[in-house]
Amino acid sequence: MTLFHFGNCLALVYVPYYLTYKYSGLSEYGAFWKCMQAGGIYAITQLCKMLILATFFPTTDTNIHGQFDIIGEFLKATVDMADLLGMYAVLSGIPGKGHAKLLTAGVGWAGAEAALTRCLLLWVGAKGAEFDWKYIQKSLESNISLVQSITTATLVWLWSRHDLSRAAVPVVTAMLLLSSYKSLILDIIVATTVGPWTMLMLRAAYTLILGVTTLKIYAGLAEIIGIY
Amino acid sequence: MFSAGDELEILKSILPFSFLFFLPLFIVISPVSMVGASHEFQIHRMHQYDLQGISHGCRSTHINLEARSLSNWSTQRHCVITRFEDITLKMLSDIKQYAGGLLIILPRDVTVLSQQEKQLLGDIETQLLKGEVNLPIYFSTWSPEFEVILRDVENSKLTDEKAPTAWDAILNSVSANGYQVVVSANKATPKVDSHIISIQGKLAGYGLEDKLPTIAIVAYYDSFGVSPELSFGTDNNGSGVIMLLELVRIFSYLYASSRAHARVNILFLLSGGGKLNYQGSKKWLEDQLDGLEGSLIQDAMYVLCLDAVGASNNLNVHVSKPPKERSPAAQFLQDLKSAHENVTVEVVHKKINLAEDFLAWEHERYSIRRLPAFTLSTLKSYKDPARDTIFDTVDSVDAKKLAANIEALALALARQIYNITALSNPLNSHISVDPEFVKTWMDFLTSQPRAPMLLSEKNNPLIKVLQDSMHRYLKDTKTIFHTADKRDPEFVFYDVTKATVYIYNVKPAVFDLFLMVIITLYLSVIYLIVQASIVFTCIHLYIYIYIYIYIYTLIKYVI
Repeated sequence: MTLFHFGNCLALVYVPYYLTYKYSGLSEYGAFWKCMQAGGIYAITQLCKMLILATFFPTTDTNIHGQFDIIGEFLKATVDMADLLGMYAVLSGIPGKGHAKLLTAGVGWAGAEAALTRCLLLWVGAKGAEFDWKYIQKSLESNISLVQSITTATLVWLWSRHDLSRAAVPVVTAMLLLSSYKSLILDIIVATTVGPWTMLMLRAAYTLILGVTTLKIYAGLAEIIGIY
Repeated sequence: MFSAGDELEILKSILPFSFLFFLPLFIVISPVSMVGASHEFQIHRMHQYDLQGISHGCRSTHINLEARSLSNWSTQRHCVITRFEDITLKMLSDIKQYAGGLLIILPRDVTVLSQQEKQLLGDIETQLLKGEVNLPIYFSTWSPEFEVILRDVENSKLTDEKAPTAWDAILNSVSANGYQVVVSANKATPKVDSHIISIQGKLAGYGLEDKLPTIAIVAYYDSFGVSPELSFGTDNNGSGVIMLLELVRIFSYLYASSRAHARVNILFLLSGGGKLNYQGSKKWLEDQLDGLEGSLIQDAMYVLCLDAVGASNNLNVHVSKPPKERSPAAQFLQDLKSAHENVTVEVVHKKINLAEDFLAWEHERYSIRRLPAFTLSTLKSYKDPARDTIFDTVDSVDAKKLAANIEALALALARQIYNITALSNPLNSHISVDPEFVKTWMDFLTSQPRAPMLLSEKNNPLIKVLQDSMHRYLKDTKTIFHTADKRDPEFVFYDVTKATVYIYNVKPAVFDLFLMVIITLYLSVIYLIVQASIVFTCIHLYIYIYIYIYIYTLIKYVI
């Protein structure tokens, strides 16, 4: 399309990050540098993941016969657990307290992801002469991943707490797994081919459910230990 | 280490200026991605050539326009994209005048077209080739992707008529699927160093070569259609070439044995430029007659031209002047009529019209120079559109019928040169056409387009093969290169016979505005949510704590 379309897509990707940063109180903490640090850790984590994937899963032509290789995909999704480790590193590295810390980690992490994976794609794709809904979908997807990152950060933080109530531990662990294996689970559930818009809606709903549940648990804990 | 606040301040002060500098730079250097198109096809350009000082065909190459269908195009900014079957002569003349480009999709399967449809398409081809055309015209073979695009373009809501309301206009722009057609070909330039190539060879008779009578057999090997890359010309004139080569094979075999070595020279000529007013024959004849050396052709018994001889067994002998009684030509025609029971022969008489720029048949080139000549063809008239069409593909020739025609011709020739009048004779067994040979040649000749402009280089592989096969059977084979005069060229060929078209899926500009409004709305909602969430969380927690204290006091009270 045109430069205008590129601008549209760019706004759709990055303005929510800016709004989250600006209006959720992060800017008041001067968390910009911390966000950058979180982003740096994100980049290192992705590099490690790529190395592991390239070393242990050299051929990715699993769909040669048109069948879905669940075990292979599962192993590959397991590598995504490295994200959780990375997130843990971010959380332990960033000083701060309460939700400011979590938001910093989440926004930094997702922001780095958006900058590294979306920017070039949009620059090459959305600015080209060819119109495709794909780029709008990708932009919306990165909004979802913002929510997802904040959720994951919260979950990792919750999981690392000792004062989390015993009853909540299995729930938090399950939700960590659910968020880590998100794409695999969605692929399995929606075995038949659905349109990209439906897939996007499903992803949004999935993330939203995880997010709301996490918020509930977090609110419970925050109230007990008295931070907010 | 800076403090976080400093960082922000520095970034804030640098960013706007760096943006002013870098953004335009990025936009300039960023690739305009041509490969990003979802559709990419090989297309063939319409003919472009100059002949005898007159320009023919399509003069331009470049297209970067919006695709429209036959029914909803309106301006110079539209490239009409259509099926060949849908176009009519009236529409064509409109398009030629007012549209910006034309992309024609050939029929999916030519064999299912009825004779009448073929006739109509032939008429359109002739119409297209008449005179100069200023807009770029391209042809493409059918493909499923093209079918989708065609359907989209035909049902498109993108019209220039005003929608009843603004809302309708917006809806149309969102749901409509526009296409941008881009052909970024270079400007077509005249091909330097282009030749019309003819190949000559002979079988010398028994005895003194110069004293013996000569028969010349001529067939042009090029083909013609609306686009050079699509001119496969199986019948016209692949069949003539096959017939000539088969005669070469048969008679070289006969002449090789001393008992069957006749007292007649046979001269074979594969002439080039047959579709360009028989330039190859013209040049060859000039060389032969006006050259210093005497030539066999000067006292030829007759010149026999072959032109489209594979479609049926009803041969027509086209003459400019009926041959005199008892002349060799008349004798030959007699022999030909009785040569094969399935093959009928009819003589068609048409005087040469010297006022016309173009000669009707190849033999007229020879008749003008007062040589007895005639053309053998299955076609009744030289105006038949089947002579110059891209639909002259492999199924327009029946190999069996072609073989029968070749056999009839070979027998008639044999009877004449051996002077045998009896109807049945032992020669018959020697003169048998090899169906394998016919089939192989047909496959070879139809495997590539043979428009004169594609065969104009000296080292063309197809010409090489023809040369080799002539050389194998004949003596004194010679290749004649006819190069156009530099100052006043008789023919000029142009390059860019094919190109690649990129078809982009595009949306109208209104759509982007509409999208911007939607995105702004969406972002405002996010803004509200994010800003409210802090307040919301506080209220939430407050309520929790309130309920907690309430229950706590309640329990305490109860206990």
